[in-house]
Amino acid sequence: MNFFLEPLTLLTFFPLLGVLALLFLKPEWRSAHRWTALVTSLITFGLSLWVLDQFNAASGDLQLISRRPWISVAGWDIQYYLAVDGLSILLVLLTTFLMPLSILSTWTAVEERVKDFMIFFLLLEVGMTGVFLAQDLFLFYIFWEFTLIPMYFLIGIWGGARRIYAAVKFFLYTMAGSVLMLLAILWLGVYQGTFSLPGLIDRGGIPGDIQMWLFLAFAAAFAIKVPMWPLHSWLPDAHVEAPTSGSVILAGVLLKMGAYGFLRFNLPLFPEASVRAAPWVAALAVVGILYGAIVSFAQKDVKKLVAYSSVSHLGFVMLGLFALNPQGIQGGILQMVNHGISTGALFLLVGMIYERRHTRDLEAFGGLWKVMPLYGTLTLIVALSSMGLPGLNGFVGEFTILLGAFGSQAIGSYWFAGLAAVGVILAAVYMLTMFQKMFLGPVDKDENKKLLDLNWREILILVPLLVFIFWIGLYPKPFFDLMAPAVEKLLVGF
Amino acid sequence: MPNPWVFIGLFIIIAAIIPIGAIVVALILGPKKPNPIKQSTYECGLETVGDSLVQFKAQYYVFALAFLIFDVEAVFLFPWAIAMNKMPLYVALEGVIFIVILVAGLVYTWRKGALEWV
Amino acid sequence: MTTPVKLLDFITILPVIFLAAWACLLLLVDLWVKHKRVTAYLAALGLAIGLGLLWYQAAWIGNAGFNHMVVLDGFSVFVNALLLLSGLLGIALAYGYLRRMGIERGEFYPLVLFSLSGMMLMAQAADLIVVFLSLEFLSIPLYVLTAFAYPKAASEEAGLKYFLLGAFAGGFVVYGIALVYGAAATTALDGIIAAVAEGRANLSLLVSGAALILVGLGFKVAIVPFHMWTPDAYQGAPSAVTAFMSSAAKLAGFAALVRIFALAFSSLSDDLIPILWGLSALTMLVGNLLAIPQTNIKRMLAYSSIAHAGYILMAFTAFGNPGVAEVSIAAVLFYLAAYTVTNYGAWGVVILLERAGDLGLEIGGYAGLGRKYPALAACMTIFMLSLIGLPPTLGLVGKFYLFRAVIAADLIPLAVIGVLTSLISAWYYLRVVVNMYMRTGDPEISPEPWALTITGLMAILTVLVSLLPGWLFFLASQARLNLF
Repeated sequence: MNFFLEPLTLLTFFPLLGVLALLFLKPEWRSAHRWTALVTSLITFGLSLWVLDQFNAASGDLQLISRRPWISVAGWDIQYYLAVDGLSILLVLLTTFLMPLSILSTWTAVEERVKDFMIFFLLLEVGMTGVFLAQDLFLFYIFWEFTLIPMYFLIGIWGGARRIYAAVKFFLYTMAGSVLMLLAILWLGVYQGTFSLPGLIDRGGIPGDIQMWLFLAFAAAFAIKVPMWPLHSWLPDAHVEAPTSGSVILAGVLLKMGAYGFLRFNLPLFPEASVRAAPWVAALAVVGILYGAIVSFAQKDVKKLVAYSSVSHLGFVMLGLFALNPQGIQGGILQMVNHGISTGALFLLVGMIYERRHTRDLEAFGGLWKVMPLYGTLTLIVALSSMGLPGLNGFVGEFTILLGAFGSQAIGSYWFAGLAAVGVILAAVYMLTMFQKMFLGPVDKDENKKLLDLNWREILILVPLLVFIFWIGLYPKPFFDLMAPAVEKLLVGF
Repeated sequence: MPNPWVFIGLFIIIAAIIPIGAIVVALILGPKKPNPIKQSTYECGLETVGDSLVQFKAQYYVFALAFLIFDVEAVFLFPWAIAMNKMPLYVALEGVIFIVILVAGLVYTWRKGALEWV
Repeated sequence: MTTPVKLLDFITILPVIFLAAWACLLLLVDLWVKHKRVTAYLAALGLAIGLGLLWYQAAWIGNAGFNHMVVLDGFSVFVNALLLLSGLLGIALAYGYLRRMGIERGEFYPLVLFSLSGMMLMAQAADLIVVFLSLEFLSIPLYVLTAFAYPKAASEEAGLKYFLLGAFAGGFVVYGIALVYGAAATTALDGIIAAVAEGRANLSLLVSGAALILVGLGFKVAIVPFHMWTPDAYQGAPSAVTAFMSSAAKLAGFAALVRIFALAFSSLSDDLIPILWGLSALTMLVGNLLAIPQTNIKRMLAYSSIAHAGYILMAFTAFGNPGVAEVSIAAVLFYLAAYTVTNYGAWGVVILLERAGDLGLEIGGYAGLGRKYPALAACMTIFMLSLIGLPPTLGLVGKFYLFRAVIAADLIPLAVIGVLTSLISAWYYLRVVVNMYMRTGDPEISPEPWALTITGLMAILTVLVSLLPGWLFFLASQARLNLF
């Protein structure tokens, strides 16, 4: 089969065609750029559905493999190796699903240098998809680091007032972890003789102490990206300064790359170290859950509030993954998707009100329910989903995670799950406080009186997200079915 | 046979003794009748005229450089010329190449006008 | 045992001989040439012929010449090809620049060729005497080139500074060679190896000699603490010269260092590893840290070049480890090739933005480049990413290779210092990117066709070769070091 027509290769690199097309369009043709990017991302989404169609959910193995020797001289064994399995398929779909929505959200929000914006956005999609599909450590590292670059530009060029600070901070923080991972990757390549992930897992046999060091080196990269407390401090800055669409992708996909990294690399490559580290990771995750929730509560800036809530939610994901049992991991993966959808929607909603009022200060609003009923309703649903109301998606994820964490041998104590459950209550507190301050009460600011409710484009952006909020909340079985065999297979090693 | 370094040591000692001895002997035996001419700085026998800090024309340096090159060339060419009939052909060629390179340098300086006295 | 000179001896250094002769000829031709671009094209032609001769010469790989004073091995052919290419790039960048700066003098091109022939000889040197000879041969034209913007005071100062410190460093090399001779009773590299193997050599004397040679050559490639001249010389020299100097001279210096340390002194590695370890860590740290406060792009790139010398020096610590030595030599070569490509590209951008009177050299002056000249800014971004070591650029692949050697030699702390300093480097390289894209300004470029072509070409190479690096890996790993 032709190399470029293999499903995963095509899926990963298709956005480059859009980039190529954009390069030939004049900078002034702004709507042409928007449409090109949108159509490209929609086709990419279509391709990912095609991949889903070919995906055999009953198998836990790597599927749809695209594999070529890449650099195989002078003692190198580096492959071009893309494959998908139950651990990554949902995240790939999440990525391609959020892209068109984010691009739609920039329709009126990004007026300057639209061409550059769209180019960076599509490049980002290539990097993110690649991260989820790469099965060779070298290839993975290239995609992983590559996502940094477009995101750095998105924050730095189209961001808010302190955008340069935020962009550089984001870049340096993330890179600090990645370079340590690079060394660990090289160690594996040198002493285990291959960079291919399945090859390394088969080979195994890394001595315990070294496993711990390698685990830590990989964890450095992933924990910063997740971000786990106390490495989270880049996140609020990056989120607050990033343009709306950037925040959506940052929260929706980039943070997942960290958690996915733990799942894909740390757990199978270093099983002993993972078991040893599980209580510590769980402890940090719980601290993150509580810390994120409490700090969220104190925020005046809505976007910052949502950003800190991400720290809390990703704490749940980490807790689930390191429960090292099927419920925990499945819940963790589903919670990644949930967080991508709910938090993505929240950022979109914040962006919509910001476009109207050019402020995100909680105190500047009040009584919006009367002015923008539709906006209020949708925000309420998303907020409820984010805090984990039964019947909506957040509940399913968090509940499964807590279930896993309670029964987890690796974590070893009920206390973690118990404290995490407190986090759910705190989430309700900050989300409802936010909702109350923004929407309830009298309309006491003049600027708020004439706000327009959502337009068709904005509704069109939000509806797909709401569909999934309800779908996962009411009938999550298809999602669990997709990942269950792969999770089983992953846990064989423990 | 004694250590060969002994001879070098002896050589150094004798080489030091002779001039020191000469100076000491001169100090002891020589009559001292100083006058202003005797005490002035010795240059080349002539009386110094004017200040010793005078400006030189920069071209002297270029000339000096060019001269030095051909001066040193001669140092190389003497042994070459003497040994040439005992050496294979390529040694002769190397000498020629050496001269050609220097001639090229001469042409360069000439053309650049460095040899014209202004 | 000396043998009479044969034709083969000349073949072993054919491109060097040719280049030197061509340079002499060019010096004369230039006297009657009115348009200096003719000289430039003739110089480029000479380099192209040199490449052809190198190709022809490759059939004789495996020979030593002039009683083992020089060798012709895969390593030297690789380095020499890189040197000739970097000469071509240097001339292309200088072509429009010299005219624009009002220093278009014909001597520029012969001087570049002279320097290059010295560098190429250095890559082939198998005897410390030849190392010293070629060191001087490559340095003296460089001193002149550094001061080429005469009568600009900064350039003359840079030239003088470079000359004085260079001569000083040359003294170290000579003294080192003398000590080595004292220890091993020979200056030939194979003789030194034999002397050590047979236990005839005085090891402490030999180590001191090796250390002194490291000092002298370390000066040439700008290793801390022998880097003091670098920022001033790089800043004062005309940018086109700096581009050439920072790529080619570094290449040649490292070629000689690799040959001496991987072959002759590899048995001393127990004594040398701490020295190399410390120097490399120090160079990476100091180079990267001092680059942070720089506001002048030339100075910043100077410190960055110091830092990169530190990365390359990392691989030297692996030379004593027989299982890893070959990989680490290949890694050095690959990194040098990657650095040459990236470095020329970055200097190309600097040259395009520089205006007469040292204008356009402040990093702040790059503000707005991304808007006004998007393609050029994209190229510069690629170069900066490559210097940091991020995908998809050659810099990452080069670092990957280099760190692999260090890890294989089990020197993980050094590798950690290496990656953490490259994190530091991101800070100042990104500042250029921040200025280009995230601040507003109105920079002005001088659209010189050759400089633009080279910049674009280097950007494409930086990305493309990083995605398909197999062939370069292969060549680097085939470039075996030998004395025959």
